[in-house]
Amino acid sequence: MKVKVYSTPICPYCVALKEFLKEHNIEFEEIDVSQNQQAAKEIVEKTGQMGVPVVEVDGQVVVGFDREKISKLLGIRE
Amino acid sequence: MEKVYDLIIIGGGPAGITAGIYAARKKLKTLLLTKDFIGQVGKTSRVDNYPGFFGVSGQELMKKFEGHLKKFEIEIKKDEEVTKVEKKGEFFSVKAENSNEFKAKALIVATGRDPRPLEVPGEKEFIGRGVSYCSICDSAFFKDKAVAVIGGGNSGFEAALDLVKYAKRIFIFERSDKIMADEILQEQVKKEKSIEIHLNKEIKKIEGRDKVQAMVYQDLKTGKTFQVPIDGVFVQIGTIPATGFLKGLCEFNEKDEIKVDFESCGTSTPGLFAAGDVNNGKWKQIIIAAGEGARAALAAYEYLQSKTL
Repeated sequence: MKVKVYSTPICPYCVALKEFLKEHNIEFEEIDVSQNQQAAKEIVEKTGQMGVPVVEVDGQVVVGFDREKISKLLGIRE
Repeated sequence: MEKVYDLIIIGGGPAGITAGIYAARKKLKTLLLTKDFIGQVGKTSRVDNYPGFFGVSGQELMKKFEGHLKKFEIEIKKDEEVTKVEKKGEFFSVKAENSNEFKAKALIVATGRDPRPLEVPGEKEFIGRGVSYCSICDSAFFKDKAVAVIGGGNSGFEAALDLVKYAKRIFIFERSDKIMADEILQEQVKKEKSIEIHLNKEIKKIEGRDKVQAMVYQDLKTGKTFQVPIDGVFVQIGTIPATGFLKGLCEFNEKDEIKVDFESCGTSTPGLFAAGDVNNGKWKQIIIAAGEGARAALAAYEYLQSKTL
């Protein structure tokens, strides 16, 4: 399973999401869209949304810190 | 037997957290329900008026508050959006979206405020596609773009300053004929060449195909209407109290704020308290919210004591 998190250093929900993943020992690649404009463009194309965080799990994309959807995709049980 | 709490606190901002700390120290059986520990403060880039924390980011301050609360014995449920509160006999029944009902003898509402929408055509349709209420969340998407910030108060000016790093041009639109932002923010904005301020302008419409491309506004002095090409609209025209779930349970003022007696933060309903930005206090400040959280918790403690006598 490959998990990517698109975020910015200051967005509060990004921080909350990353903490959530760490709590559940899920490894992820972090892409800072404030530094990487190409990545920012890509997620706008992929999601149609201009917002972070965005989580990508094996090609499936969730916009925002939607704990329920993300847990389902990652098989996290709380 | 069904579990009954002494106290339920709704909200995880400065008011709710402080109430939680005080309630825990009084050994009240307390449940704190909250969406998250972010709220209005967590979306503020910098806080300079909370003693002991000069220059702290809103996020960091909230982390400290949350950490402080968790030093005490208190039950916390996160990700809980409260949908309805009822008074059933002696008890308050609190219904949250993701769980069952919770019951308590006393209740502190500390839900704060939500961004006030513009209520113009195009606004809802383009949320997340150019329309935003949180500059520190979304500014990175507007690199080299032209954006409008609606509102000439503190939050509008702060949003414009958050955007300076990214956007090429920033227009602040204010409906009235004067700037409301603090002088210190006005000075900072004046130094930024990319920010322009427009007074007496009312937004009429946000337009675009699949994302924001233009905005229509009226010059209130001449009555003329204009369209400007724009990539983003940051709405910063104030906030509304988050009290939808409480309808009919106590008295509100004309702004939908919960009316309280400021000594106890008590409402018109015995056992129901409201602390922080959600009540009819004039000044909405972190430190005032925290102070009211303490008052409400101590008053709730007194209320509970008087019941058992």
